[in-house]
Amino acid sequence: MKYIVTVNEREYTVEIVDERRALLDGRVVEVDFEPVGGQPLYSLLADGKSFEAYVYPGEEALQVLLMGQLYQVTVEDEREKRLRAAAGGRVAESGEYHLKAPMPGLVVAIPVQDGQAVEKGQALVILESMKMQNELKAPRAGVVGRIRVRERDSVEQRQTLLSVQ
Amino acid sequence: MFNKLLIANRGEIAVRILRACRELGIETVAVYSEADRRAMHVRYADEAYLLGPAPSRESYLRGDKIIEIALQSGAQAVHPGYGFLAERQSFAQACLDAGLVFVGPRPSAIAAMGDKMTARNTVAAAGVQVVPGTEGEGALGDADLLAVAPGIGFPLLVKATAGGGGKGMREVRSLEEMPHLLEAARREAESSFGDGSVYLEKLVEGAHHIEFQVLADQHGNVIHLGERECSLQRRHQKLLEESPSPFLDEDLRRRMGAVAVKAAQAVDYVNAGTIEFLVDKERNFYFLEMNTRLQVEHPITEMVTGVDIVVEQLRIARGRQLSYAQDDIAFSGAAIECRINAEDPYNGFLPSTGVIEHSIPPTGPGIRVDTGVYPGFEISRYYDPLIAKLIAWGETRGQAILRMRRALEEYRIVGVHTNIPFHQTMMDSHRFLAGQYDTRFVEERFSMEELEEGKHTFPEIAAVIATLVAHRQAEHSAQFVQRGERDTSNWKWVGRWERMHR
Repeated sequence: MKYIVTVNEREYTVEIVDERRALLDGRVVEVDFEPVGGQPLYSLLADGKSFEAYVYPGEEALQVLLMGQLYQVTVEDEREKRLRAAAGGRVAESGEYHLKAPMPGLVVAIPVQDGQAVEKGQALVILESMKMQNELKAPRAGVVGRIRVRERDSVEQRQTLLSVQ
Repeated sequence: MFNKLLIANRGEIAVRILRACRELGIETVAVYSEADRRAMHVRYADEAYLLGPAPSRESYLRGDKIIEIALQSGAQAVHPGYGFLAERQSFAQACLDAGLVFVGPRPSAIAAMGDKMTARNTVAAAGVQVVPGTEGEGALGDADLLAVAPGIGFPLLVKATAGGGGKGMREVRSLEEMPHLLEAARREAESSFGDGSVYLEKLVEGAHHIEFQVLADQHGNVIHLGERECSLQRRHQKLLEESPSPFLDEDLRRRMGAVAVKAAQAVDYVNAGTIEFLVDKERNFYFLEMNTRLQVEHPITEMVTGVDIVVEQLRIARGRQLSYAQDDIAFSGAAIECRINAEDPYNGFLPSTGVIEHSIPPTGPGIRVDTGVYPGFEISRYYDPLIAKLIAWGETRGQAILRMRRALEEYRIVGVHTNIPFHQTMMDSHRFLAGQYDTRFVEERFSMEELEEGKHTFPEIAAVIATLVAHRQAEHSAQFVQRGERDTSNWKWVGRWERMHR
């Protein structure tokens, strides 16, 4: 299986030949890949060199934490790549954005109102968790709608708080 | 002399105190909230009693209930740790009233140092320099503030009396711009706190936040254990501390130590305490405040002095003399502490909650880990995000940094995000290595994204690892569809799949 892999905006081709071999930009790499201690921690022996990394699924990319550095990695097979190219790139700038609680907590304040226009980066909800107040910000400009929580509400992780259209 | 003690705290500090008690043969009583039934301090203590529901004010802040439990269990003393009730005069007093020994200062000393105005006036009267300003002079009008400003000197800060978090705060560079900024600060203070009172304080530029550990017994002996450099902070939260400070020389250390002792004596201080100073670029130092309790970062002082501060605390509380005179205290090597928090440094340091699924703390020469968590324990939203304190000691600062670097890379925690990558980036930062940082460094000049020159990166390895993960996922989901073709049950697959996406 052949993949187009983008690491921090640089592109590589990685082909999985079999369990023990991969081709990195056409070059053979002997691989031995094992999850350790439960996912998402992995051990890789690549041509005998030992690496360990955390791999977290992100919104659009996999986040690989390796030797104290974070890499944003997208992995697509050739078909997905062609589809995306045909679709004209990302669609994140349109449609409805649902603000979800990144962690359980207490809604301290909602400094916006239904129907209010907001700028990118503007605070939408102040959520208190672990004795700290955290500003949850708008990822893009839009209009606030469907506020589903009130001040002093306790919310669960990934609970939808409001939407930006 | 007590031989059974209640620990009115949780987490790593409760475990730290338990260890000292164990070594001294003191029986221990833990208290816990409903969220902490499986916590390490409950497991390690000789006895443990439930306080109440998870929120602190219904559990760890219930002083009345804690005292009741102490009396019922036959404990004769209470150690408050840090945070929670540690700096509440009323709790210390209530312990004494109930006939319990409070492992800490007298209530009067907590009160004197707890109120900023009283603290400033008390230490100033003892001849200790404080940051020049008008705090403690009551709510002054604009005319008065403008009149005293040149005496304090520019730049200065206008700060809200009721303030916090930088609200109602303005930096003033000259007398001309001051009326306008005063008005703005008052307006913001009024809307944020319902109180427009402000005071002036000299702005200490390029400041270092340096604190001195003091120990005082009930027989009038007061010593200091040197300093801790605490300038690496984010939003006024300390992230990393080291001792000795790369910024101090022997002469300044001696002078500041003497002042720290004097400040403690000014309030008849007993037990362990910490005097915080601001030190400016010209090495002028000013008293900031005193923390009348054990400090989070006390282990680095233990590493460079060899003194077990918690054991000394218990000794002092038992009415005995300090084990050391000032001349007995010798400093050896350098120690660094990294606070390992459940926070995502790549996502605005948002707190991260979840169950610790896997954990391998580092070990080996010069490494100490103080923690209260273990695999299977849940990091909940109710308490602070400190998972562990990683401490490295070396004969030199350089060796301590090398050990810290390798220990950070060794540390494996799965289940929550941690700020370990932040510390790793810091350990590579040229300014940190050179010891050239001040209290604004993290917020103004530090970036997780910008790599130091010459830093080795592994994008190709990241590409291979991500591909192997994605490839496996694709294979597994294909298998998921093909009923009966799998080696394990559907439910197992769903469980694994969900865990991947948590």
